[in-house]
Amino acid sequence: MATTVAPPPAVAVPASRYERGLWSWLATVDHKRIGQLYLYTAVTFFLIGGLEALIIREQLRGPNGTLVSAETYNQLFTMHGTTMIFLVIMPLSAAFFNYLIPLQIGARDVAFPRLNAFSYWVFLLGALFMNASWLFGAAPDGGWFGYTPLTTKAYAPGMNIDFWVLGLQILGISSLASGFNFLTTIINLRAPGMHLMRMPIFTWMSFVTQFLIILAFPIITVALTFLQLDRFFGTNFYTTAAGGDPLLWQHLFWLFGHPEVYILILPAFGLVSEVLPTFTRKPLFGYPVMVYSGVLIGFLGFGVWAHHMFAVGMGPIADSAFGVTTMLIAIPTGVKIFNWLATLHGGSIRFTTSAMFAIGFIALFTIGGVSGVMHSSPPADLQQTDTYFVVAHFHYVMFGGSMMGIFAGAYYYFPKITGRLLSERLGKVHFWLTFIGMNLTFFPMHFAGLNGMPRRVYTYAAGQGWDLENMVSTWGARMLAVATLVFVYNLIRSRRQGERSGNDPWGAPTLEWSLHSPPPEYNYAVIPTVRSRYPLWDLKAAHRSAHEPHEHDGDMPTLAPETLAPDTPPPTARQLGITMPTPTLKPLIASIGLTAIFVGLIWNKSLPIMLGGTALFVVALYAWLLSPLEEHEE
Amino acid sequence: MIRALRWRTHTAAALPAALAACSSHVPNTTLSPQTEFGRDIDALFDILLFAGVAVLVLVTLALLFVIVRYRHRAGAPEPKAIHGNAVLEIVWTLIPAVILAIIAVPTVRTIFRTQAEAGPNALQVEVVGHQWWWEFRYPQYGVVTANELYLPVGRTVNFALMTADVVHSFWIPQLGGKRDLVSNDTNHVWFTPESAFAWNGFCAEFCGSSHANMRFRVFTVPPEQFERWIAHQQSPPVLGAAAPPAGAIDTLAPAPPAPPQATAPTVVADSLPEHVRAATPIPAGLRMSNVRGDAARGAQLFMRATPMPCAACHAIQGVAASIVGPNLTHVGSRTSIGAGLFPTDARHLALWIKDSPAMKPGSKMPAFGKSAQIPAGLDDQQIADLAAYLLSLK
Repeated sequence: MATTVAPPPAVAVPASRYERGLWSWLATVDHKRIGQLYLYTAVTFFLIGGLEALIIREQLRGPNGTLVSAETYNQLFTMHGTTMIFLVIMPLSAAFFNYLIPLQIGARDVAFPRLNAFSYWVFLLGALFMNASWLFGAAPDGGWFGYTPLTTKAYAPGMNIDFWVLGLQILGISSLASGFNFLTTIINLRAPGMHLMRMPIFTWMSFVTQFLIILAFPIITVALTFLQLDRFFGTNFYTTAAGGDPLLWQHLFWLFGHPEVYILILPAFGLVSEVLPTFTRKPLFGYPVMVYSGVLIGFLGFGVWAHHMFAVGMGPIADSAFGVTTMLIAIPTGVKIFNWLATLHGGSIRFTTSAMFAIGFIALFTIGGVSGVMHSSPPADLQQTDTYFVVAHFHYVMFGGSMMGIFAGAYYYFPKITGRLLSERLGKVHFWLTFIGMNLTFFPMHFAGLNGMPRRVYTYAAGQGWDLENMVSTWGARMLAVATLVFVYNLIRSRRQGERSGNDPWGAPTLEWSLHSPPPEYNYAVIPTVRSRYPLWDLKAAHRSAHEPHEHDGDMPTLAPETLAPDTPPPTARQLGITMPTPTLKPLIASIGLTAIFVGLIWNKSLPIMLGGTALFVVALYAWLLSPLEEHEE
Repeated sequence: MIRALRWRTHTAAALPAALAACSSHVPNTTLSPQTEFGRDIDALFDILLFAGVAVLVLVTLALLFVIVRYRHRAGAPEPKAIHGNAVLEIVWTLIPAVILAIIAVPTVRTIFRTQAEAGPNALQVEVVGHQWWWEFRYPQYGVVTANELYLPVGRTVNFALMTADVVHSFWIPQLGGKRDLVSNDTNHVWFTPESAFAWNGFCAEFCGSSHANMRFRVFTVPPEQFERWIAHQQSPPVLGAAAPPAGAIDTLAPAPPAPPQATAPTVVADSLPEHVRAATPIPAGLRMSNVRGDAARGAQLFMRATPMPCAACHAIQGVAASIVGPNLTHVGSRTSIGAGLFPTDARHLALWIKDSPAMKPGSKMPAFGKSAQIPAGLDDQQIADLAAYLLSLK
């Protein structure tokens, strides 16, 4: 790696076939390109999951709805939940992990660039596998938490649950691979001087998230493997007729499922904590407390799983214990909200779309947090669990929290990714439609639930006192649909026609904003040396970060002066003599082989497909492992 | 508000004023509990609601204040860079901790109180969940029924909850919290109904195709009426009792309203408030010709119908004993069929027999109507006979 910037050579360098067009995307190992692949894939699934939600709402607009059948409805809500969790919010977070973590910590790429590409391709194929079920009229229909014995062969003989089990297994491989990748990246590839307590807060929250992923996903993998064995090979892990305990699945699932909630929300916490200081022109209030509370939420997240099971009859001691641990988790969460408020306090708030989403996040997430505390009390939860009150609660957390935070991050980082700003005018339309539509959709659900409406019903009788709430919810959902179309239009239009942003359109404090937008493939021509939490403010607005802990030893400048130059296209890696990982198709081929094994399993346990997939996987893996990461010329 | 008090059996006289709260436009509300279990929960909910709304209002006001007060103004000086405050951090860690402690103490007390053993004199009711209907057994009285539960006011009832297949959840919103029906285990929940009325019950755990159609009714009645109801349930059905004249019914005409009887042991469907009236529209495409059924012929068909006799799955006291489907001993005196979906009249019974899966998605009862797929099925006359027989099982 170069430590000085070489002057660009005068000769033109021939482009490799992997530098342009489709091949450049299929073979990429660049974390920034992979981040964009995650982004566009997840936005596509956001549209699909949103369409599923809209059909659900149209069906429930009034009593005795007849738009879809019971079976279709059950597939829709199962796929809506599964899609939004595993194919939208997690990959949107992964898009930010990929794009931002190496930039924020001053690295050239992630620790294992080819594994990173493998993670994406496995995710994409897993998502396609899961959704291919629609083509067979056999979309999963057991709810996103797939309770046994309903999902065992005895009660679900079709392929629906097979698609779900195997699809989640494939997606789990992707999540685990990227979890280990980002952990290694954050631990090993931080720029000189970037102590843990100087890491940008988004990287910190991502760091905690990766720990949750590598600890929680093995649990769901085991639970799913049992179900897979039951369904495909006749074992009896969950067979109640053979003495199986249905609560085994519930405990295993929620032991994964609750940390999963924090996997979904912590990255959004991180994004909001990046956005607020920039737009208040103040450092994040209580940075160390924000870090510790995030870590604490991660730890406590593993000790509360049975609060999803207060109605199953665990007995008073377990109910009390899990009720109290659940209440405890509200403390670090509340602390975060107070620190965000304190960050806003005394600031000079610029209401960009990004800031509005971040502020909207605080308001809506607080509602979700409060209703969460309301069912932390087990007896109270007995009236709330499995009703629309819970549906309202988790949509305030997942939509009002995760998605609002992700939107804030999207408006904030879009210019870094594309070099252009998203339209602020369309952005504000998007914000207000989302904010109002979200409340119209989900707030009435609190009342529907408290007035006795169970969740996951494809129909309800007239005269139950739920008509108004459902009607309002449906209108809210229509508004959200329009909001989403505005957002997608903004994304597409601004990519080409947006206003040029320059390197640092917002006056942000962290390293990534020193780079050209979009950043060159090697990120930093010279790896920066970090002396504080806010290296860019040190250079541009020193008074804002003056009170933060600094280290003044050494003479190395924080950033090479070239990287702060005006918006001229940066030199290429070749011109600078920087060796980057070679693009390769091997991760893609390996992921195809891996997925083929699962395709063969669902295809009547077709041995040829499974063996072919295994062979392809093993061969691709060997070729991958035997080829060096970086080659100078092919 | 009290428009639901159209319940014309003699229980009407016993309806207490408490019903004013629960029979309004939110007939299934959890916020107007009618048992000690429900009130224990509601008392906790009030604390949670108060604390939650207080926190929400304060945070929202603080948020509104800071975003208005500290919005960017042209020419304003750079904000002061404040990176934190240890005292504040401790304060706002302790405040939620104190609030949560205030919630935790009554929570734990309520958990132990509501999960204690029911008293020794409790009425025992066994609840068995099936995809997608409810079996109710009264082991102290030897009574088995389905989808309609009668409970005496003022006596604690202890439910033993079991499932025949997947996980279900037993929930009567106005009478208390829900409890799951878990395979290979028996859960319990108990409470004491305080007023006579008609309530809705639901399955609250997703259990497959017709989860939404797994409903039930609860009639809390004065103890005297409960005794009469038990006696009635214990006796075999009287064929043709209280049936229309000559045992023949027009399958298309609505059932004539039975005259309220002072001593009627069961609730009269016609007099029920709207929220517990079975009024699901008949799915499109289902037809039944206008034929009169004969209950006596229906009784024979019950044992010999093709392709499978009704008796292969259904029990009728003194007639058949299978326990696969709902017990039909007094089905004619129930207010609804299909687990709370349709009114008990000849037309709905006939259509149910003809094509149950079309009436209720996923129904385990096969279609019995003659069709291209089921050439050995029953013709409309036979179906009308069976409907007449079932309707006569008062």
